[in-house]
Amino acid sequence: MEIHKYEKIWFAAALVLVVLFISSVAYGAVGAGIQMVDDEGGEINPNEIGDHPTFEGYQDVAGTEASVTQVNESHYEAQIQANHPNFFPGEITVPEGSTVTFYITAGDVIHSYDIVGTNVNTMVIPGQIAELTAEFEEPNEYGVVCSEYCGELHHEMEGMVNVVSEEEWEENYTDDLITIDERGGDN
Amino acid sequence: MAVFADRYPDEAKVVRAALASSFLALLIGGAMGPLQTLHRIDYLRIMPSETYYTVLTLHGVALVILFTIFFLVGFYQWAITDSLDRPSEDIRVTWLWYGLMTAGAAMASIAILGGFTDATDISASVLFTFYAPLEAHWLFYAGLTTFIVGTWVAGADWFRSWWNWKKENKGEKTPLRTFMVLTTMLMWYLATIGVAAAVLLFLLPWSLGIIDSVNPLLTRTLFWYFGHPVVYFWLLPVYMIWYVILPQIAGGRLFSDALARIVFVLFLVLSVPVGIHHQYLDPGIAEGFKFLSASNTMFLLLPSLLTAFTVVASIEHGARQRGGEGYFRWLTALPWRNPAFTGMALAGLMFAAAGFSGMVNAGMNLNYLVHNTMWVPGHFHLTVGTAVALTIMAVTYWFLPRITGNPIFSMRLGLVQVLTWFVGMVLMSNAMHRVGVGGEPRRTADPFYDFEFEGVIGSIGELHLQIGIGAIILTLSLVLFFIHLIFSWFGISATTKITSEAPIRKPLSGKEHAPAVLENFRLWVAIAAVLIVLVYTIPIASIIAEGGLFGPDVSPVRPDHAPLFSLSGLATEWVVAGLAGAVGAIAAIAGVLR
Amino acid sequence: MATEQPAADQTDDIQREIGHDEYDPIGTLALVFIYFIIVSMLWIFVYFVEFLPRISPMVVF
Repeated sequence: MEIHKYEKIWFAAALVLVVLFISSVAYGAVGAGIQMVDDEGGEINPNEIGDHPTFEGYQDVAGTEASVTQVNESHYEAQIQANHPNFFPGEITVPEGSTVTFYITAGDVIHSYDIVGTNVNTMVIPGQIAELTAEFEEPNEYGVVCSEYCGELHHEMEGMVNVVSEEEWEENYTDDLITIDERGGDN
Repeated sequence: MAVFADRYPDEAKVVRAALASSFLALLIGGAMGPLQTLHRIDYLRIMPSETYYTVLTLHGVALVILFTIFFLVGFYQWAITDSLDRPSEDIRVTWLWYGLMTAGAAMASIAILGGFTDATDISASVLFTFYAPLEAHWLFYAGLTTFIVGTWVAGADWFRSWWNWKKENKGEKTPLRTFMVLTTMLMWYLATIGVAAAVLLFLLPWSLGIIDSVNPLLTRTLFWYFGHPVVYFWLLPVYMIWYVILPQIAGGRLFSDALARIVFVLFLVLSVPVGIHHQYLDPGIAEGFKFLSASNTMFLLLPSLLTAFTVVASIEHGARQRGGEGYFRWLTALPWRNPAFTGMALAGLMFAAAGFSGMVNAGMNLNYLVHNTMWVPGHFHLTVGTAVALTIMAVTYWFLPRITGNPIFSMRLGLVQVLTWFVGMVLMSNAMHRVGVGGEPRRTADPFYDFEFEGVIGSIGELHLQIGIGAIILTLSLVLFFIHLIFSWFGISATTKITSEAPIRKPLSGKEHAPAVLENFRLWVAIAAVLIVLVYTIPIASIIAEGGLFGPDVSPVRPDHAPLFSLSGLATEWVVAGLAGAVGAIAAIAGVLR
Repeated sequence: MATEQPAADQTDDIQREIGHDEYDPIGTLALVFIYFIIVSMLWIFVYFVEFLPRISPMVVF
């Protein structure tokens, strides 16, 4: 077979590009520690979400000011259910400098939970629990959108993640805060 | 050599029929484009936001399924007949697959159009991806199935031609164009297993009430098993055009026949085991399989990067034969006044840009940044919306005389048409990418929330304006294309007939230099199958083991639609059915009459 | 009635025939080299400048 030497040079360069891309992605995963959403969250019956250990008592948590469960001093978890066209709870609040584990599932169709301007972004699939953990350093108000078409009111589906200062947290959100032991469940 | 339409009049009729169906789908799908763009950016809203999703479904299905695949079958029928230089084995079989595809297209279209009225319970506002538990009327799934079965019969028809040709030409290498058709179809057979399984085992019985529940992650995974290779089904006919026709128009010869074949074999082997890269952010799939898919996808860049070299080198050969000199000055020696050349060259340029945004999509963890944002439609309006669509429009200026015997109405008008498409898409796609990085989601009627998106270089408002202007320019380009198409197709105001055509020039390095192993299709299919098994067995087994074959009691959800018009039930049903039936009928009649 | 003509292929403009052995696609090499540079720079920019440092919160576990 005849292959021109210039084309051989280009083929080598193309391989370099491929290696560059794959190694960047591998570096992001291993070096920078960015984990993909995976199968850790497990399965759930979408008709009996509250009965699943991960979601036990989540309606009560949604009734509190912060709508999150405290795991320890700086770690919180948020159980969120997506149902066209709402997230429940729609708004959650955490203090600055906290680590938050999200458990998100759907009661009807496929949705997504995308915290705009961040890389917290996951598909939400009935029968599956999407589990992902993120660190929130600075106070900020993040908008959340459902970015997967889920029905005729899809465009109305939004939420909010408030990251508040230490002082504001102490003042407004700790009174009715539910801890992991109080809520039950096995996380 | 006599023109194709005179050498093979029966086959030319099928080619024209398929092209007519393809362009009708382009017209309908294209017309939805400005409706939804202007609605989305809130410049002009003539429908309720609920209806946006029906319009979007029509836009997607008509353009990426009907327009592209009807073009493919017409063009491939020409490629087989012309390159093997033998008529269809049985023209009734050829019409059979065209008929099946048309019937399927009409059924799916009826189902989608039903979403515009509440007179019947027929609707399919589920978008091109039809993710369960969103449910469409069974007619939609049945239509898609019929359409795909039609493409399977077409593939079998072409294989039959090739087998008979081989019997009569023992020891000869398969002509390049036939080789490309066969590898594409083998890839397609492997790819459509996924969608066939999703539809026939789960979605169709579910929509008919035979089974109560499906596993949404399983049907979604099966969809993407098919959903990524389908993009190569759009792309490979375009690659054939770039390899075979573009050098011809540039006045050159294909640089290397062997490399072109290698590229098609690479697509056959690598196209399917990458679908999980559409599911990077799905729960229920282990990260290792996502990384495997990412690596495969990156290797899939190789055939496209090789194509870039081979095709540009073939064009440069033309430029030098036309007197071009220097490192870059040869570019000015190319036939830029010819819309077929300019359209394809610009399509290729946009595809190079799309290569980059595709690399970002493929970059696994980097996908967190852009997943389901406007970046993604920005990307595929460069690939299928320009590399494919603009090449198809451009090649029409070369192809039409060969299948109709009528000359092109006006090359200058054609040049304006391809240039406006390019300009419109540069504006629209560039702005779509940028609002995407700012976080604006795709597939939404009304991307205005209680919070603001932050644009990257330029405000969201400015970028929306760019998207709107781009969409309007694209619409104008489409109108020009159709005016021109009708004049050229029917020879309106033509004073001459096209009676002869130049044969395709031989490659610089011909097929005698292509290794014989490339023709060993069994080997390549076997390798592709092994890769598919490696990449998909464990994820699918684990989805079934964990979530159950039919999922945890997941009921169908039919998206509600705000009707655009209400008539008495039966009357509307007939109007809708009639309109959609006309889709097939007009296409078939237009083809046959010509 | 209609006159007859061939389908145009731009073959009329060919000034010289260049064979396989006398053709080096140096212009192509130059173009793809530029593409290589652009794509690698853009990748490094998007991955290591836009994506990795900018985004807080970061998904860590």
